[in-house]
Amino acid sequence: MSDRQNEKLDAILRSRRVDSAGSDLAQRIILKAQSLPQNQTVSFRQWLKQLFAEFHLPRPAYVFACTLILGFIVGFTAPLNTTTANDSNADQVQGFLYADEAIL
Amino acid sequence: MPAARPEKDDHELLALIQEGSHHAFAELVQRHTERFYRLAYRYVQNKETAEDIVQDAFLRLWENPANWQPERNSKFTTWFYRIVVNLCLDWQKKKRPVALDEAMPLVDDRETADEAMIRIQEQRLLEKEIAVLPERQRTALNLCFDEGLSNQEAAEVMGVNLKALQSLIMRAKTTLKERMKGYL
Repeated sequence: MSDRQNEKLDAILRSRRVDSAGSDLAQRIILKAQSLPQNQTVSFRQWLKQLFAEFHLPRPAYVFACTLILGFIVGFTAPLNTTTANDSNADQVQGFLYADEAIL
Repeated sequence: MPAARPEKDDHELLALIQEGSHHAFAELVQRHTERFYRLAYRYVQNKETAEDIVQDAFLRLWENPANWQPERNSKFTTWFYRIVVNLCLDWQKKKRPVALDEAMPLVDDRETADEAMIRIQEQRLLEKEIAVLPERQRTALNLCFDEGLSNQEAAEVMGVNLKALQSLIMRAKTTLKERMKGYL
């Protein structure tokens, strides 16, 4: 295809005709919208964002709160009857002492 | 004398629309109606239908303002072009074939009668050939030639990459040149 053909086609494409819109089109849209209610349903994501916006805290506060929560979680999930090596030694010593008393 | 209040940009207006501001909606509609009407007209070739489509698009925005999510859409016009194009394509699926038999009397006073006649025929043929192009090629042409969008913007509206868009335009133009040989 020659350049001349290209240019001519581009020129025709750019000169395509459009019937102009009614002068009151924008006004009609605006008037119609005034009689329509807005649908204010928000997605879960937006709801979450709004929630966080309500509780707008500085970043260090978030870090502090998260650390506290993590501490509680770790604290509550750890088994209660954990014993350390020192604890088991103490048991042995006490066992030895009571055994002696029993003999006596 | 007080300084003139700076015009709000589209994003600011959309934020106000999400809060229910009719005034912001009116400003946005007045700012963009004409350009979206032009685009719709390219597809449907009918003034009333194009107006209905633009009205429908704006009223959808008003009714569901939460659909606009600034973090997901870089530019209002890019997002809204997509909405209008989709509405036009939906309309065309329901209403095929497109009637193109109306006279298109675009006559420049300086043209002779013969020149004007050739021009009208050229335009009729062009509209007819564009109407039968594949959907994506037609959209690419409409966005780049009529709306004056850059290739990058048009690619964003269509959700394709730049190379794909260039290829669509190239194929569309090749087809048109082939079919309009007598006029070029």
